[in-house]
Amino acid sequence: MWQQVELALSQSAHRVLVKLASFLPALLALLVAVIVLTLIGAGVAALLRRILTSARFDDRLARNSVAAISDWVPSHSPTLIVTRTVFWICVLLGCFIGISAFDAAYPGDQQLSLFVLPYFTHVVGAIIVLIIGSIIARFLSRSVLIGAVNAKLQYARFLSLGVKWLVLVLTAAMVLDHLQIGGVVVELAFGILFGGIVLTLALAVGLGSRDIVSRSLEKNADRDFEHIPAESDYKSSGSENLRHF
Amino acid sequence: MASTQTTPDAAPEATASAGNLLVSLTPLPANALEATLANLALAFPDQTVLVATPDAAPDLSTGGPLRLVPYTPQVTAANASWMLTAADYLNTFRLAEEHQATTCLLLGTESHTLQPEAIRGLATAALTFDLTVARYNLGPHERLVNSAILYPVTRALFCTRPRFPLAIDLGLSLRMAGRLASIAQKFAAANQPEALLWPVAEAATASYSITEVDIGARGIPQPAAHDLSALLNEVAGSLFAEVDSKAAYWQRARNPLPVRQLLQGSPAAEGAPDVTSMIETFRLAYTNLHEIWSLVLPPNSLLGLKRLYLAPAGTFNMPDNLWTRIVYDFILAYRLRTINRGHLLGALTPLYLAWVASHLVLTSAGPTIPEQHIQDQAMAFETDKPYLVSRWRWPDRFNP
Repeated sequence: MWQQVELALSQSAHRVLVKLASFLPALLALLVAVIVLTLIGAGVAALLRRILTSARFDDRLARNSVAAISDWVPSHSPTLIVTRTVFWICVLLGCFIGISAFDAAYPGDQQLSLFVLPYFTHVVGAIIVLIIGSIIARFLSRSVLIGAVNAKLQYARFLSLGVKWLVLVLTAAMVLDHLQIGGVVVELAFGILFGGIVLTLALAVGLGSRDIVSRSLEKNADRDFEHIPAESDYKSSGSENLRHF
Repeated sequence: MASTQTTPDAAPEATASAGNLLVSLTPLPANALEATLANLALAFPDQTVLVATPDAAPDLSTGGPLRLVPYTPQVTAANASWMLTAADYLNTFRLAEEHQATTCLLLGTESHTLQPEAIRGLATAALTFDLTVARYNLGPHERLVNSAILYPVTRALFCTRPRFPLAIDLGLSLRMAGRLASIAQKFAAANQPEALLWPVAEAATASYSITEVDIGARGIPQPAAHDLSALLNEVAGSLFAEVDSKAAYWQRARNPLPVRQLLQGSPAAEGAPDVTSMIETFRLAYTNLHEIWSLVLPPNSLLGLKRLYLAPAGTFNMPDNLWTRIVYDFILAYRLRTINRGHLLGALTPLYLAWVASHLVLTSAGPTIPEQHIQDQAMAFETDKPYLVSRWRWPDRFNP
């Protein structure tokens, strides 16, 4: 009896050690691939930054308004965006190669990469969607806020928040869909949330701010009748004939 | 009367003969063109002048002083007739080269409202100086963007005098026209022929001689667009970009300027203008845009804005140094891309309206005449220039 237990334990320990012995090189291969590609990426990014800086890439791009990358990510120069993109592409490449190497070095019966690689691609896609969604949400939210304030709308912040959350909810739904989490529940929840926000905005603007709108309209109408109806905003800001330009 | 500013590089000798003068006109309606030509004939009765017009030229009797040069613009700018654009400078220089003119007059829209004496004054000064800028006699509530931003910034940073750095009537020597055309060519190549150029800054950078000439009253064309924010974005954005591109020059420029005499014919503001709408816009912005302003402005400026927010309409007064710091910090944020540049200039609009309201309250209630306040404001920009230079060089340094 005791011998059988001892045999079973030793066999288990042996199997664990064998698994560990085959797993560690695979893990090492993965880490080496990621580290090497990261270093290559850093080198390429540094080289690219130097080339773009010497070629005055930012100035050239600024002169060409067609490619206004900086409008979306204002705090970074186009050179920085390009070099960082190249760096992260190299890191991702390292991950892909590392997983393949891990799969090749791992002598298990299952082909791990068959499952991991597609899901890893989805995770990367989801992260990219999340980043882009956040940037767009911030950009649109600020655009709406500043535009609404300059249009003298009292509910500017509310509009801005509404737009921001619309984009964020849409982004979250896309991310979860990409990660294949939740399935139909996410779609349903997204529909309800998105529709709810739109309905709330419509009700708030249409009904809740009815008094504000009517007061604003009355005020404008009174001003128009009392003062200078023909002058546009930039020319006239009241009873005096102001010319900003 | 022309006030002059001669930079170390000597002005070209006034050897240009009258026949070498090219007057370049922007597109005009037929009757306005005829009136302009009549004024030009009165301005130059004894000399032959080339008049370039993109419009269909009327028949002129032979023997007159004007020689019309109708042309088809090689570069045209859409929707930008209220200001001189890169296309205008480019077309003028091409024509000047083609007809071997040594001096150019570039007259903007509504040039038919210019008096013959004013045109002659521009032409005379243009024979001596590289850049002659028109100085208009406007009402106290006109061209407020110029008074609030364009004039003080240009004067402080580029150490130049012209009161209207974005004037639409200019006299140019051939080398000045060539320099402006080379810059305009870059914009045209980038498919931006409607871009604004800053001749005063350009002349200062190149050490060319600059002068300004009193034009008197003139019809000032107004932009077709009605959105103040968009227009401010276009004009102030162009100036901020110019400041950014010429940082190497203006950080070194330290010409002390004599105190300016007030313009004759700049009357005190009459009546109390309605500033309620502008103050309301500022207060609405303060409650909503505070978060964005705090990305751009230091705490001291935010405190100043808070005081302004709490001030009643009757004593609504933005101190000169507060407005100076605001503009300088926005220029810096434009350079650093702290936030999106469109957002940045959009967030500047309510602050500009607050300045306008403060200016109007100050000049309508007290003894200060508008021009005095504008000169004081410009002086504050000059005094505080070291702040911008310091922050430009070390933007991350602690700034209370």
